[in-house]
This record gives sequence, structure tokens and C-alpha cells, in this order.
Amino acid sequence: MAVQFTDGVVVGADSRTTMGSYIANRVTDKLTHVHDRVYCCRSGSAADTQAVADIVHQHLQLYSQVSGAPPPVHTAASIFQKLCYENKDALSAGIIVAGWDKEVGPSVYNIPLGGGLFRQPWAIGGSGSTYVYGYCDATYKEGCGRDETVNFVKNTLALAMSRDGSSGGVIRMCVITEEGVERLFVPGNELPQFWQGSEVLPNPKGKAVPEPQVVPMVVE
Amino acid sequence: MSIMDQNGGSVIAMVGKDCVAIASDLRLGNQALGVSSNFQKIFPVTDRIYLGLPGLATDVTTLKERFRFRVNMYTIKEEREIEPETFAHLVSSTLYEHRFGPYFCEPVMAGLSKTPSGGYKPFIAATDLIGCLNFAKDFVVAGTASEKLFGVAEGLWEPDLEPEDLFETISQTLMNAVDRDAYSGWGCVVHVLTKDKVITRTLKGRMD
Repeated sequence: MAVQFTDGVVVGADSRTTMGSYIANRVTDKLTHVHDRVYCCRSGSAADTQAVADIVHQHLQLYSQVSGAPPPVHTAASIFQKLCYENKDALSAGIIVAGWDKEVGPSVYNIPLGGGLFRQPWAIGGSGSTYVYGYCDATYKEGCGRDETVNFVKNTLALAMSRDGSSGGVIRMCVITEEGVERLFVPGNELPQFWQGSEVLPNPKGKAVPEPQVVPMVVE
Repeated sequence: MSIMDQNGGSVIAMVGKDCVAIASDLRLGNQALGVSSNFQKIFPVTDRIYLGLPGLATDVTTLKERFRFRVNMYTIKEEREIEPETFAHLVSSTLYEHRFGPYFCEPVMAGLSKTPSGGYKPFIAATDLIGCLNFAKDFVVAGTASEKLFGVAEGLWEPDLEPEDLFETISQTLMNAVDRDAYSGWGCVVHVLTKDKVITRTLKGRMD
């Protein structure tokens, strides 16, 4: 996911790569540098998104050499869009492009499966995103600062990682501002904790239902 | 995606010195969505036999009730408790009855069988979903993380582990194997059976 705030953007992702149900990599880095102040979050087929990100990285290196200035985030997002739209039949790639540039400031662009380009204040993607749309809609506020935004990203990712089997591992975040890029890391045992569901609701009379005892079956 | 991956879950049983241990995760999912972190898959059959049932959750519940009925009928007719090896054959024949429309479960059993001299011998067994029996001497595994369980168990198991050491070994095997499986986890439970008591412990693990 990526979220815009006053001075920059926060991009964040989990670290799980699966092949079916096997967790092939539990410490993946899904936040990919395509330029000094432009990062992308990759979801979908790992091979497809890595290949597309490499091509965009090359384009942006050429752009900054030719123009002498860092590329606008919109330009980077448009190159991603061109590749995702024109190869839509072959690719399985959901990409979020986010960064900071001098003309516009911070911006977040969502490029879902069909290859459309959508600028949004915050964007979520990947299989775990479906479980946290409600949380994000209820919690996001405009005009937040860096720390509030980092917390919002951390909590959203932790909730998705808890419910979605295809998400998990550690949380990786990048805070991108005019000054630079700061990488943040939250290990698995320091994730924010929410309701885990093993408590039993008390019955209507107000007494707690006792824990069921594991006893052998009744045998004469 | 196979029907055995619909709900997720894994079970392992291991043999120790005059003891057995059986352990499972606690996850019930709807494909990738985790639904319950409290879903029991290991059931006591008698004081000395425990049955683990990983696989499709509806069949876990149905089979547990079917076996409860059949074991009660055995006890009434035979006027004695069923032995682990006999129970394993009961499981096998129950599953084979549905050879061409099977229950989507791969049962794992752990128990202590009576010897003629009056002592107790550790016993483990597993079957596939149509009742093929496997009497292993070391450990048996089943569920979505079965391949990972094989790998870790092969590395960590050694013969003649005391109950406390067997608990550590089976716990590490299960926890590390389910951490590599997207459809198992969300908490673990371990039962260690010795001739005079059963100790049940719930483990705190990764909840992702």
C-alpha cells in the first residue's frame, strides 16, 4: 500500500511470496526502487512485476540523463501503465507507484490488473487488501503527518497479514520525502496485535462460558 | 486448488521413550481467509488413544462423530476398551467403505498399547484418505504442511526421547513447518501421552 501525507509518501508491504500454499520467501522485499524518489509496490506474479519494474527503472535512468532532472512520479506511473495496459493479456501485475517530485510534491498512483492509471491519496493492493478496505475507509484522514501515516500503514498491513493466508512475514516501509528515503522494518514478533478470536463471549446472563475441558469419551 | 487445501491444517505424531506425542495447528480457513484460530483437530478416543484429523473441516467433524459411535459400539460389544492397533484398522475400514467417494481427511493416530506383561508400548499410525495404513516407528505427518513436516521431523527426530524432550522436538517441528505453509498455523496444540497422564499445551506462534 502507499499513502500520501503532507511532506511525502509512505509505501509499505508484507514480505510473503507463495507458490500455491508453500511460502517460497518469507522475507521478500516488495518495495522496489525505480528512481531516487519514486518507489513501487508489487503484487501479483513476482516474475511479471520484477520484469516490468526493471524495464521502468531503465527508462527512468535514461530520462534523468537526457533531461538532467529527476522524473515526475506521474511520468514513472505512465511508463508502468503503458507496459501493463499494452501487455494486459500476458501479465498478472498489480502495481502501486508512489514518490515525491518538485512540481507536484507527494503523489500515489494505483495501476490495477487491467492497466488503468488512478491517482489516489492512498492505495492498497494485493490479495490481503480485500480484508482492509473497510479499516482504511474508516481510518484515513487528510492532512496527517509522517508518524500518523506510518502508524496507519503499519496497522493496515498487520490486519491484512493476520487474516490473509497469502500475506505475512515482516512489514517493510519506505518514507519518501524531498530529503530522501528512509527504510523502516517491523519484525514479525513486533507487529501490532488485534483481536485474535480465542476469547469466548459471555452468555446473555452475564456469566462467562467455561473453557471446554478435553476429556476422553465416555467409556463403560 | 485441491479440496484438501480448502480449509487448511496439519497434524503430526511422534514416538518417544514410553510416550507418544500428537500435535496440530488450530487454523480453520476459507481458502486464503483465516476464519477461526480455535479449530480443534485432535480428539481423544480413549484415555490412551488420540486421533488427529486434518483435511476438509466438515469431514473432520463428521468422521470424529462416526468414530465415536463405532468405538462406543465396540466397547459395548467387547466389554473392554479398544486397543490402538485395532482402532487404526477401524479407521482404515471406515474410510475404505467410501473408496469411490471418500472423506477428504488423512487421519493420524497416537496411542499406548497394552503389552502382555502389563506395560505400555508407544504406537502411532496414519492413513491416506481411502484408508491405506502406515505404521511408522518414528513419526507420521498429514495436512497442508505435510511435506514441510517431513523435512523438519527427519532432521530433528531421534529415538528414545523422554516426554519433556519429545514435547520440545514435536513443538519445534510443527511450529517451523507451519511457518512455511500459508494454510496452516494460527496457533498450535500439543498432547503428550504417557502411561499415567496426558499433558496438553497450547503454543504461542506466528498469527499470520
